[in-house]
Order: sequence, then structure tokens, then C-alpha cells
Amino acid sequence: MNRDSQTFLNVIESNKGIIYKVANTYCRDDDNRKDLIQEIIIQLWLSFTKYDEKYKLSTWMYRIALNVSISFYRKEHTRSRISAPLPDDILHIKDDSSGGSETETDVVLLNKFIKELKEIDRAIIILHLEGNSQQETADILGLTATNVSTRISRIKQQLKQKFINLKTQN
Amino acid sequence: MENISTNTNTNENEFRELWSSYNKKLNESLTLNRKNTEDLTKIRIGSFLASMSPLKIFTILAGIIWSVIGDVIVINLLNTASPFFLISAGIQLVLTQIAIVIYIYQLVIIHRVDINQPVMETQRTLARLRTSTLWVARILFLQLPVWTTFYLSAEMFENGNVMLLSLQIVVTHVFTFAAVWLFTNIKFENRNKKWFRLIFDGKEWTPVMRSMELLEQIGEYGIEKEAEGKGV
Repeated sequence: MNRDSQTFLNVIESNKGIIYKVANTYCRDDDNRKDLIQEIIIQLWLSFTKYDEKYKLSTWMYRIALNVSISFYRKEHTRSRISAPLPDDILHIKDDSSGGSETETDVVLLNKFIKELKEIDRAIIILHLEGNSQQETADILGLTATNVSTRISRIKQQLKQKFINLKTQN
Repeated sequence: MENISTNTNTNENEFRELWSSYNKKLNESLTLNRKNTEDLTKIRIGSFLASMSPLKIFTILAGIIWSVIGDVIVINLLNTASPFFLISAGIQLVLTQIAIVIYIYQLVIIHRVDINQPVMETQRTLARLRTSTLWVARILFLQLPVWTTFYLSAEMFENGNVMLLSLQIVVTHVFTFAAVWLFTNIKFENRNKKWFRLIFDGKEWTPVMRSMELLEQIGEYGIEKEAEGKGV
């Protein structure tokens, strides 16, 4: 694989969803998310030459996106805004006013509940929901597949409980 | 919430189905600004960790200069200065040098962290890096008493005002007790105590506090991993 900027752009284009979803899971507001997306892309670019092709491209991307997101503290990253003043969003999401269906409401709630989980649990559940196998998730995180499997069940129970509690309240 | 079953034993895939609909919507509405992304690849910028290095290097250099000057003064005054000054300055300099070693350790970690590595491994190193800052705080507190003793002399005890001497003894004792107490109690296990939160309340401590919580989470996974190994 070429390691030039055009190849990199194509990689980012094809996997932009990974960056957006990971950043969204670890950020509370739009400004913060914008900074985090920028930081993830910078780190991906800086690591692009080190990408080891024995791993899937998505494994490499998840590792960097999660590592940056979990250790992202806005105060420490003021330098990125000072020395790299970027104009608008890198990833833009179109406004959709058609929302409001039951499924869309549940998606919003699911995202909200995932954000309430602990950092590592958030990473596990996103990787699971994204369709990664337990072994792939284990490779990305540095856990055992059994460990991942046990955790996924517990996290799903927690999420389900949150839906149940909300339903009971209403 | 009609799509999520309230029966805890029902379809395991319902969250995945929800996530698929989220993915579908994102695929339709998410666009990449290629121009901005390309601009990012042209910016000469270091890793976010490397950006932490300059301040640490500055602190190490300032610490070394302070330490060398202090050592020279102490050595030159070895035969003439009051033992109170020599011992106080000696303790302060040793503690400063320990702090310098911690900063050098942090610098080494910063250059060793590889964000291409698995998340747990990288996060464990990063969290240790941040929490090692607590050691610097502990050492700074340990210096407290010597700032109340370096100006003392034998003459002050022979000819000094009793009231002032009593006050001096009380202050030094209070500072010593506080220093030792803080040194032994500023640790991970006490992070949720009120006094701990009070001392480390500022925004600059947020990463350290969050790192401690992260280390705890990582620790939980370590315990589970061990349990797996033992077939528990």
C-alpha cells in the first residue's frame, strides 16, 4: 500500500464512520468532537507510515482512534487549535429533520447510554456493535477473547437495564 | 423504546440492529471534507504526546540549574553556615533531585508510548505517566518543613524570644506532620476522599484524576484475566 497523502485520504474517506462514531462516543459536545476528530486524523496520518499490514486497516484505525479518544483531555490539546487552526468540520453530518421515529429515538438513547459507560466498556461495546468478532475486539484492545465475551454480556445487560428503567419511569 | 425488548433474555442482536440503522443513517449523511483533511496532512505537527515534552524539558532544566546552584552554595558554606541551613538546604536539594528523576522518567515514557499498540497497553502506560505527577506533588509537600527551619541558628535558641521560639516549634511541627501525612496519604486509594478532591480540584488535575479511574478499570480487567487463567 502506498503511504502518500492521496492513499491516506482514500483510507479516511472509506473509514470515516469509524472516526466519527468513536469520537462521538467519547465527546459530550460538538466543539469537543470537532477537536477530537481533528486530533484522531492527525495521529492517523503521523502513524500511517507505521501501519503494519499484517493487521486489518480497521484494527489499526480503531486502536489509534480509541487510544486518542480515551486519553483526550481538552486542556492538554489547546496546542492543536493554536498551531493547526482548521476552518470548518472535517466530518460533516447533514441535518436531518425527518427524525423522530421509534428506531431513531432508540438509536439516540443507545448512544446516550453507551456514553454513560466506563471508557473501556464503551470501547468494547462499540467494537462489538460494529460487527468485530470477539478475537478482533480482543486484538484491538489487548484483552483475551473470553474476557471480551464476558464483558459484552455484562454491558448488554447494563444497557438493557437502562432502557427498562427509562420505560418504567415513563 | 418499542424496539428494545424489556425481557432481558430476548434477542441478543437487537442492539446490533439498532446500530445498523445508525450506520445506515451515517452512511447517508456523513461527508468528509477532503480539502481540510489534506490540509491536516501538510501541517508540521508532532504527536499530542510529544507536545507535552517541552514543558517537562523546561522543568528538568530549571530543576537542574536550581539544584546545581544549591549544591554549590551548600558546599561552599559547609564550614561556615548554620547546621539548620545546611540540613534544610540538603533535604530540599535531594527532594528536588528526586522530582527531576520523576520528570526524566515521564519524558522517557512519553517517547516510548506507541498509540499503534493495543488500547489497554497504551492506556495503562499513559495513565501511569499522568498519575506519576502525583509523586511530584507528594515530594513538593514533603519539602514543607525545611522552609520553616533553614533560617534558624543556635544563637536564636540561646538568646531568642521564648514566645517566638515556641511559635517556631509549633509551626515546624505542624508543617512536618502535614508533610508526612500528605506524603503517605496522597495515593490512588484516597482519590475519592474529600480532602484529596479539595487539593486536586483544579482543571489541570482532571487528566490525573481521570487516569486514576482508568487505571482502576484496567485493574479490574487484570483481575478478570487472572481469574480466567485460574479457570474461575
